[in-house]
Amino acid sequence: MYRLIEFIRRIYVVLLFVIIETVALYCYSHSTQYTEAKILSHAHSVTGALHSSVYGVIHFFSLRRENQNLSERVAWLENQLSLYRERNEELTATASDSLTFSQLDSLTAQNLTKYRYMTARVVANSTNRLRNYITLNRGLMHGVVPHMGVITPDGMMVGYVAACSERYSVVIPLLNADYRTSGKIVDDDHIGSIRWNGHSPYKVEMEELSKNANIEVGDEVIGSGVSHYFPSDVRIKIGYIDSYTLNESQTAYHVVIRLASDLSRLSNVILIENADFKEVTDLEESVKNGSYLRSMSIGEGAEN
Amino acid sequence: MHRYLTYAGVFVGLVLIQVFLIDNISLGIYFHPLIYIGFLIILPLDTKPIWVLLLSALLGLVIDSMTGMGGLNVIATTATGFMRGTLLGITSGHNTSTDDSIPSLYRLTEKNLAWFIALVILLHSSIYFLLEALSLQHIFHTLLRVILSGIGAGAFVWFFVKLFIEKIFNK
Repeated sequence: MYRLIEFIRRIYVVLLFVIIETVALYCYSHSTQYTEAKILSHAHSVTGALHSSVYGVIHFFSLRRENQNLSERVAWLENQLSLYRERNEELTATASDSLTFSQLDSLTAQNLTKYRYMTARVVANSTNRLRNYITLNRGLMHGVVPHMGVITPDGMMVGYVAACSERYSVVIPLLNADYRTSGKIVDDDHIGSIRWNGHSPYKVEMEELSKNANIEVGDEVIGSGVSHYFPSDVRIKIGYIDSYTLNESQTAYHVVIRLASDLSRLSNVILIENADFKEVTDLEESVKNGSYLRSMSIGEGAEN
Repeated sequence: MHRYLTYAGVFVGLVLIQVFLIDNISLGIYFHPLIYIGFLIILPLDTKPIWVLLLSALLGLVIDSMTGMGGLNVIATTATGFMRGTLLGITSGHNTSTDDSIPSLYRLTEKNLAWFIALVILLHSSIYFLLEALSLQHIFHTLLRVILSGIGAGAFVWFFVKLFIEKIFNK
């Protein structure tokens, strides 16, 4: 005991220095969203390789479940494909000179679509904090860029990419108190704002859903389709209505949504890049800060 | 007692100059001298490391709370305070007088004092600007900020020590 006290007495300046720096670094990293994502991204770059190897071992033991999921997914896609084939044959038979589905498919393959998809594996994932993050094993060198949407292989919303290093990227998921998205009930056009309140990792909340919306417990909630991160024509699942109440002013519903899948058990994800993201957000930004007005007046001046 | 009050005055004065003068005049993105670190430079040579550490943390905390930097100044200033003794040893060897005086021309040669100021400011500015950027993508811009801001801070601290501190403490 005496030796321990003597040892601490000898190194107390270093100890205090480490404590102060740790606290300050923690405060700084949580001071803004940018620093939080950046510092976590760097930290994950260092620990990513370690996580990756540990995950490799864990992943090996979950191969059976993943194979089952993939088989189900393949079966579903085969069904979809056969439907398209049937439709294609019908179209070819009725109008031989019209654009067939196979031609459409080839045009889609030639980048007619503005969305690009790629897959990634989860190497680190937290669900027990107020601000959770997911680290993926793909980074800038693989073509991942910030602001890519992230979904599960079965089409459930996960979040969006906040920052990338060369080999890894960090996702801000639904289970992060700073994440906001919009959603709607299937077959209903009213849109609500969805956020996580930091309590249960299986539930999120939807606010500002009009009281005119037709809702029932158990109804499916999907992405609103007006997000810049996700395609509007693809149904991005969020979850199912667990309960709902009218807010204090009796003008909108407060809805509790049970997530469609367990985000703590994520292993593979699909990344979606919107090629128009920058153009659209730049345009919106120019309207917000009024710079579009200046460019218009310059244009008019040049015409005069 | 009079000397402690003088140090307290220097502390407050440097913080106020930093926050209300330097941080409020736009000198370009590459020129942001962090002159408040001069307080750590003028502390007596025999100040105990624990006091240097606590004073540097306090200095960073005050600047952070007044500028809303969320801990960045505490990180940079505390690290510089922790390394102060080592930097002093590097620049002037271990034969500096440790009587109760500031590192001035009378205790350090002009060359050693210049090196000491340069190293302290270089260390502090490097930590500050690298952590502020949080990226190596624009490392040359960050290094340019470190160098130009360091030169500005160094020049200020040098003249501060020469014109005011030596006169106050040696009169």
